[in-house]
Amino acid sequence: MNERKKSLKLNLTDILVTIVIALVFGLVFRLMGPVYDLVQPLGLHLDALLYGIWFIAAPFAALLIQKPGVAFLAETAAALAEMLFAGSGGVINLYYGVAQGLLSEGIFAAWRYKRFSLGVASLSAFAAMVASIAIDAVYSYLPLLAGWNLTLYLVFRVLGAILLSGLLPFVLVKSLEKTGVTQSLRPVTKEDYDVLK
Amino acid sequence: METTWIRTNKLFFKINPSLKFVMISSLFLVYLFVHNLNTMIWASLFFLILYSSVTGLSGKWSFGFVLFTLVVSLFSASAMILFGKGSHVLYHQYLIMITQESLARGILLGLRTFTFSLVGMLFATTTLPVPFFYSLMQQLKVPVRFAYGCLAAFRMIPMMAEELTHIRQAMIVRGMTKQKGIKAYYARLNHYLLTMLAQSIRRAQRTAIAMEAKRFSMKESRTFYYQIGWSRNDLVFVLIIVCTVAMSFLCANSFPLTPFTNVLDH
Repeated sequence: MNERKKSLKLNLTDILVTIVIALVFGLVFRLMGPVYDLVQPLGLHLDALLYGIWFIAAPFAALLIQKPGVAFLAETAAALAEMLFAGSGGVINLYYGVAQGLLSEGIFAAWRYKRFSLGVASLSAFAAMVASIAIDAVYSYLPLLAGWNLTLYLVFRVLGAILLSGLLPFVLVKSLEKTGVTQSLRPVTKEDYDVLK
Repeated sequence: METTWIRTNKLFFKINPSLKFVMISSLFLVYLFVHNLNTMIWASLFFLILYSSVTGLSGKWSFGFVLFTLVVSLFSASAMILFGKGSHVLYHQYLIMITQESLARGILLGLRTFTFSLVGMLFATTTLPVPFFYSLMQQLKVPVRFAYGCLAAFRMIPMMAEELTHIRQAMIVRGMTKQKGIKAYYARLNHYLLTMLAQSIRRAQRTAIAMEAKRFSMKESRTFYYQIGWSRNDLVFVLIIVCTVAMSFLCANSFPLTPFTNVLDH
């Protein structure tokens, strides 16, 4: 049991892999920023559909490395990278990133880092979305939007989050598993020991 | 990264990066709870002046950046302007209902986003990654493993860019770029994403093993190649930021440009 606990601690490889992935997503966020900005003017919240991509770093890293802390680290580092690349929104990104990372991490923690299924990934994306809505409610005066408009906003945001940050990272990690690159990243499980018997 | 388009001799480059980071981030908390349209108008004006006088970007780039940011910031407020709640109707057609209150609120939102973007750009264009992460380790006591991890990751960007070119060239050679349809598009996307991700993971892993082989981060206290300290410039920086914030509140009180002192009332 002690062995298992020890293997769940982050080592340098995990940290570096997480940060590199976060940087890749930070670049993606930076490049998506102008696209997101330009679909906003209609006021019909088409941008909320795209918003989901900003939650992807945490579930992706967690699914990939399957250790505590990586989800939070990935989302925060991605937000910091976006800020350093002068992404639109600037300092706002950092606060959103930290909040999203925390709630995302919370979902994986709730399953004690033992379940990394599509459902948990989607829930984690949903949790990140809740964090973003909570800040938005204060920041963008959400309650003061017309009712139908607010509903549209919420529906699009949920759809975007589940598709782009629940399903997409799950599919990506599944395909990465086929390349074999994930094998050396994950903690050793009981099945791995059983093979040796 | 090539940074010849940045002039690094300006005052804001000489400030302790951690101090700059903390001050700039705390501005978010200051303006998040401002509901006075006048304050936001003055604040965005003052920060625009501050940004244009201290940015490391050259004039042409800087102007384009600011213009784009201003336009998209107002875009981001469009929902509030067009569909916000309010009682004094200015324009009403189908679902669109522009009221005085929602217009004021929308403009405040746009200006707030604009100000934060400016402040973010102010930070991004005057901070170099290497001193920034060294300062995080020395002043804010960020664990060495995370900060050096970030530095190592930044070094990988040129390699990633090269790899992207290779993948694109390989696709052109194989005629993949000419294939049409959703399936071909999906295949192309997959090739880009999976190749880039898998290669990045492998590279990060190799780097980590190499670092550990050289006894990196084995817990003893360590020395730093760059010592980031404090200087008189830091005091000047704090004064500049505090003055800018104070001016925005004072001017809003003395020279209110609009009657909307609290956009939450309606």
